[in-house]
Amino acid sequence: MHFTKVGLLAGLALGALVAATPAQAQEDVTITVWSIDGANQVGPSDTFSAEFDEMDNGINVEYRILQFDEIVNETLRAYATGNAPDIVSLDNPDFALFSSRGAFLDITEMAAESDVINPEVYFEGPLNSVSWDGKLYGVGKYTDTIGVFYNKDMFAEAGIENPPQTWAEFEEYARMLAKPDQGIYGATLSARGNEEGTFQFLPVIQMSGGGYDNVNTEGAREWLSMVKGMIDDGVLSQDVLSLGQWDSTGTFNSGNAAMAISGPWEIDRMVEDADFDWGVTLLPTFGEGDERSSALGGFNLGIMSTTEHPEEAFKVLEYFVSQDDRLFPEFGYLPTRSDVELPLSGIEKKDAALAVFQEQLQYAQPRGPHPEWQKISKAIYDAEQAALTGQMTPDEALSQAQATIDTILN
Amino acid sequence: MRRILSSITDGKGFDLIMVGVTMLFLFALAGVPLVYNVVMSFQQVDMFNLNTFSRPFAGFENYVAIVSQPEFWLVIRNTAIFVFGSIAGQFIFGFALAIFFMLSFPFASTIRGLFLVSWVMPGLVVGALWGWILAGDFGVLNAILRGLGIIDGTMFWKSDPNLSIWAVTIANIWLGLAFNMMLLSVGLAGIPRDLYEAAELDGANGWQRFTTITLPMMRSTIGAVLALGLIYTLQQFDLFPAITEGGPANSSNVAQYWAWQWSFQLFDFAKGATVSMMMVIFVLIASIVYVRSTRHEVRG
Repeated sequence: MHFTKVGLLAGLALGALVAATPAQAQEDVTITVWSIDGANQVGPSDTFSAEFDEMDNGINVEYRILQFDEIVNETLRAYATGNAPDIVSLDNPDFALFSSRGAFLDITEMAAESDVINPEVYFEGPLNSVSWDGKLYGVGKYTDTIGVFYNKDMFAEAGIENPPQTWAEFEEYARMLAKPDQGIYGATLSARGNEEGTFQFLPVIQMSGGGYDNVNTEGAREWLSMVKGMIDDGVLSQDVLSLGQWDSTGTFNSGNAAMAISGPWEIDRMVEDADFDWGVTLLPTFGEGDERSSALGGFNLGIMSTTEHPEEAFKVLEYFVSQDDRLFPEFGYLPTRSDVELPLSGIEKKDAALAVFQEQLQYAQPRGPHPEWQKISKAIYDAEQAALTGQMTPDEALSQAQATIDTILN
Repeated sequence: MRRILSSITDGKGFDLIMVGVTMLFLFALAGVPLVYNVVMSFQQVDMFNLNTFSRPFAGFENYVAIVSQPEFWLVIRNTAIFVFGSIAGQFIFGFALAIFFMLSFPFASTIRGLFLVSWVMPGLVVGALWGWILAGDFGVLNAILRGLGIIDGTMFWKSDPNLSIWAVTIANIWLGLAFNMMLLSVGLAGIPRDLYEAAELDGANGWQRFTTITLPMMRSTIGAVLALGLIYTLQQFDLFPAITEGGPANSSNVAQYWAWQWSFQLFDFAKGATVSMMMVIFVLIASIVYVRSTRHEVRG
């Protein structure tokens, strides 16, 4: 009995302590930030969150790492149950799902008064992806796009002087460079059945005069026939249908493919892994001087409309944006705005590749924005896969995709 | 009052409480979600009205939309291949192994125990393992098949639409093999030895002994194994994201993965619920067949 009394007292004392702690720190506001940065490698959002949290300004930042595949689901679930974070970072085509439904906070006026965030300096593509109905719902965090990496040693050996500028050259060179007996493919790309497939295929539709609302273009049909022919002849691995971009480019790095379609996120690994001379060129066009296009990748940052501390959250956002000049030197990411100078790294191949990707970004077009982007995207990658596996002709596959997309858009 | 009390502690009241608790548990954890799923399949649901009940009523729209999807029949065909292929493979190889381990040879039971490793491993790990084994250009299986001279080129198990559903089925057969073998071993061990001895004296050969003694004696075990196999196969989800992601072009997509894609990739929760309702109906029919086919044994 005596024992329990002591325990009771101790419990009371502990309770009082616990109750006292928040009272001391009552002034502090906690802002939660969700992003995928830090899942594979150190990224901007996790770094900047930690820095802001260290500052003695009455605002704490709680950072949570999510996996790429989970972040939209987790955010939706959290939003539905009223536990949404204050700030979340989403892939740009997923952003409209939230902004169109008012799940992101309209920051048009806050940005107009801000000294740090100026919507006018952002590239058009990233800016479109955070805008909905003429209002601003977030800022671009970083951006990327795709081009063609090519193995200069293999090109020299085959006597090819310049990288391909048209799709016809791309096919011609790939067929020249493929060595099936040595397990070397002419090229590699990703036609995977998920967003990555759409990411690489949509630019082809766009540069042939179409868009996500008009997919059955002559160029797209031609391109699908061309790629199918290359797969059938062993110039491309059939595994392009199941490999993501990171794994697909891995085969290029190990010297098993002469060209690879992928983006600037590959550069750092390629500098490490590839023991040959390589370069990057712009995504080919259909004819010389024809319209260019490329994919617009990258993540955006937005404040959820359910936040209890919009002003403090906006301060955190301002801090993130103010650090944009560190994106490239520290993390290898390209900023979404035109007023940030990118310092040279001193690594020759990296700097050359960067210059190409910066030029390519001018042609990058966003996916959407559309609140039902995921369904549109599925129609597009399903069509690509159906045509490349020969289940349908390119025309049948693209008409079917068009029919699906029409029901979504109308 | 005392009678009620004593009935609760020892009597009809006690029975009622026991049954009641079980029913309550079943209702809360199985009944409510099931009903909720049925309701969702008749509504328009997205993440933004998921936490309210007042959603637009859609009638049979979701069902019509699902059936008219271009990939609907492909998914049905794949589900049939996956379910029947897996059950047949797991059962036949499991039975063969169970009979093999009934022979007494050194370490028989130890080795049989080791087979359970495949059953213990999480589906995602098994999926990742088989993902590497079945890889196209650098896969282990292709290297073995080439080494044995069975194939010349490369079999793209994960990327060839004619092979992809079989790739997942093979992995699933491996995964469920040990479980089948264990259950069937237990059934085999329950058959009295003297039956075989008597049959042998009467001059029955091995095949006759198998068909006239083993199979009839194993009837209820086989029924249970096949029914459980059906349930586990329809629940098998982990292998799909890990090996083929349902691709290429839905050629290895099955109902359970499709339902997940609707809900968590396309965020159309109503259509996801609709696909799972269709699966529930299928499982219900299968269970009725199973219950009817084993009914007389329950009574006898």
